[in-house]
Amino acid sequence: MKSNKKDENTVKKPAMKSKLNLSKFSVLVYWLILLVLLVMFFTNDFGLVDIHKTSIITAVAIDSDDDGEVLVTAEIAVPQPSQSGENIKYTQVQGSGLTIADALNEINAKTGFYPKLQFCKLILIGESCRGKQLFRMLGCFYRKNYSELTALTAMCEGNAYDMLALKSNVSNMTSEAIRKVLSDEIEKSANATSANLKKIAAMQYSQSAACFMPYVEVNKPGESENGGNGDNVGGEGSNSGQQGGQGGSGGSGQGQGGGESGGGGQGQGGESPQSGSGGSEQPVEFSARKTAYFSDGNFVGILDEQQAFALAVISNNIRIAVLPCDADDIHYTLGLRNVKCGVDLKVENGVPVLSVKFSARAQIQGARVKVDLQKIIADDAIPASVTKGAETEVRARFEDLLKAVKESGADIIGVKQLLYKKNYKYYDAFKDDILQRMRVDYKIKITSVS
Amino acid sequence: MRIDVRQICFIMFAYTAATKLLMYPTILSQLCGRDLLFSAAISFLIEGIAVWTVAYLCSRTDKTFFQLLQGTLGNVGARIIFGFFAVFFFLAAIIPVFEQEQYVHNIFYDTIPSIGVFLPFFIFAAYAAGKRLTNIGRCADICFPIFLVSIVFLLAMAFPEVQWDDFLPVLKTPATKILRGVSGTALNFFEPCWLLMFMGRFKYKKGDAARITFSYAGGAAAVLLFLTVFYGMYGAVATSRTFAVARMSLFFPAIETLGRIDIILLLALEIVMLFAVVLNIQLATQCISDCAGWGNLKIISVIVNTAMLLILVFTESIYNSIHLVYYKWAWIAVIIFTVLIPILAWALKRRNTNEKQ
Repeated sequence: MKSNKKDENTVKKPAMKSKLNLSKFSVLVYWLILLVLLVMFFTNDFGLVDIHKTSIITAVAIDSDDDGEVLVTAEIAVPQPSQSGENIKYTQVQGSGLTIADALNEINAKTGFYPKLQFCKLILIGESCRGKQLFRMLGCFYRKNYSELTALTAMCEGNAYDMLALKSNVSNMTSEAIRKVLSDEIEKSANATSANLKKIAAMQYSQSAACFMPYVEVNKPGESENGGNGDNVGGEGSNSGQQGGQGGSGGSGQGQGGGESGGGGQGQGGESPQSGSGGSEQPVEFSARKTAYFSDGNFVGILDEQQAFALAVISNNIRIAVLPCDADDIHYTLGLRNVKCGVDLKVENGVPVLSVKFSARAQIQGARVKVDLQKIIADDAIPASVTKGAETEVRARFEDLLKAVKESGADIIGVKQLLYKKNYKYYDAFKDDILQRMRVDYKIKITSVS
Repeated sequence: MRIDVRQICFIMFAYTAATKLLMYPTILSQLCGRDLLFSAAISFLIEGIAVWTVAYLCSRTDKTFFQLLQGTLGNVGARIIFGFFAVFFFLAAIIPVFEQEQYVHNIFYDTIPSIGVFLPFFIFAAYAAGKRLTNIGRCADICFPIFLVSIVFLLAMAFPEVQWDDFLPVLKTPATKILRGVSGTALNFFEPCWLLMFMGRFKYKKGDAARITFSYAGGAAAVLLFLTVFYGMYGAVATSRTFAVARMSLFFPAIETLGRIDIILLLALEIVMLFAVVLNIQLATQCISDCAGWGNLKIISVIVNTAMLLILVFTESIYNSIHLVYYKWAWIAVIIFTVLIPILAWALKRRNTNEKQ
């Protein structure tokens, strides 16, 4: 082989000489390339951006007015030159237009930067959008990879721009404070049904054509409703969204709403439309234990905490959930572990049967009785009456959820998807009225941890 | 100056997969929906048979494809055929180059970059295409491990998001749609042509045909796995997700905390994709050289890449129309060049007259 190689090389050498020998000019060519690259680099032709001259959109709030215009408020992080400490300033800038793209274009014009929303982590939809087609509003985010589908999406009480302008106890970045109540960890505890752009589109564009997203509420510290069963969240009395209702002036911290388009944001050479107590200095807390749901992109209503809990355990993998229940005239708070829940659909004797299976292992976390330290050790072995009470409570929550689904026709638990995917031959027969025709079987089993 | 069989196997594995990660999954999901795996499997089966045909032919002769053509059709005939191959490789490179340009602009820039940022690609392509085919093998040696590491980690990051029931019900998509998926994505398949060009440039040993074919099957398996993760992750949204390879890992929980660590993997994968895209330009250059009988690859490479650059610059605005034309008609050329010609190559004379005597 080696000798062959040599022969080949020796044969070809004279032929190479006759050709134009570029190797003589290689140094010159490399210098020219380097020069061109340097010129492109220093004239910013690489598209490099000075981080201190940028405005990065971290969240957007979407509101709508009666004329059909959308008002988009962008929370913008403006990096500040700083030797140490806090070096990012957050502010809001607004834009408006017939589409979100119009509004974002106006924001771009105001910020002098053309972002692609790659860093936008939260999309907040105001109550004023309830009458609008959701996927017409959000269409911009799905087109041409304009933003990442990982952005969390939530509906909020009142105006979204007001909520984004509030100050939070937990973070100086309001969107981050809101995202905390929509986090993965919250989702795994069934305290919220978080949704991102991908999830809501996947639900909407399935056979079920329904989707849901968390409903964010504002709570003023110290205004929690007294009593309740552990599902109440602070401030409920003053600011809860009406179930299934429209509009409303929102809750605490909301101003007069409306939304003049085109106003600049704080510190951006304009006036933000929030007024009244909307931009109040008092920090607030956020919670998202309710769930807004949509059918075919149209707002249907809001699931309360119990219904949202049932939806969360069906939709997500739950690690630990807290369940209040009553047994023997005592109120208990149980911690549920090893939660396994799922829905399945079968057609039995021509009748679609939805089976809801739920199993968990429970331990007592709290009870409205005087604690007996000698008996705490036995808390893991909970009485049968308590597990029975927990099962009754869980079943009631599922029944509530399914009642809302049946009445509204919004298939947020994916029954039609199950019919299509696992019982395809019955799909055409049942697809129109399965929610009304189906029978529901509950198999709920809660046992004590030990 | 020969290529090692190992290097050909690496090309068949890594480049086969790397050329199908950008728009291929999106287009396939648009055409076939949740049954996209079947369409892809049919494409790979057809091309796999063609790859095996060429690999097995290599066991029967030491000649290059050009020499085989010369022996049967004469020098002029061989040059004409290679002229057609040059045109095929050149045209086959256009869409992948467009895709690369859009991918780079979309993924690695947060602003709207000018077309100029991609033009240095042609310096690289001109340099690579000016080298002999043995350099392709050396590049494959480097690219294979890079590809393997990057694709494994990227898929692992996306895997937890896969919803397996997104593929149900199975095979309810009309057969015409699945076949349309095969024809509409045909231009992503040119591997048998690559092997035709490598023919006679590597020393065949017993079992090499199987090795090459299994390497191709490995590349096909990597693509099928990628398609599974892609569609299982996006479901109904998959049809609108372009360049998903760079976005799938975003759903990995650690990205939120650690930042875009996946960018390192994407840059590594980009290196492999660039070499894979350049391969067609390299082969177009080689075919022009054989067709014209002019051995100065550097000059030919500069001409080819300048032509490619001009096409990119002047037709960028009508990319969608070009893509539509390719989508409708390219499958005919692909069948001729990647299936019919490799099979018909068996009809070429494998021995000279004096060798028979």
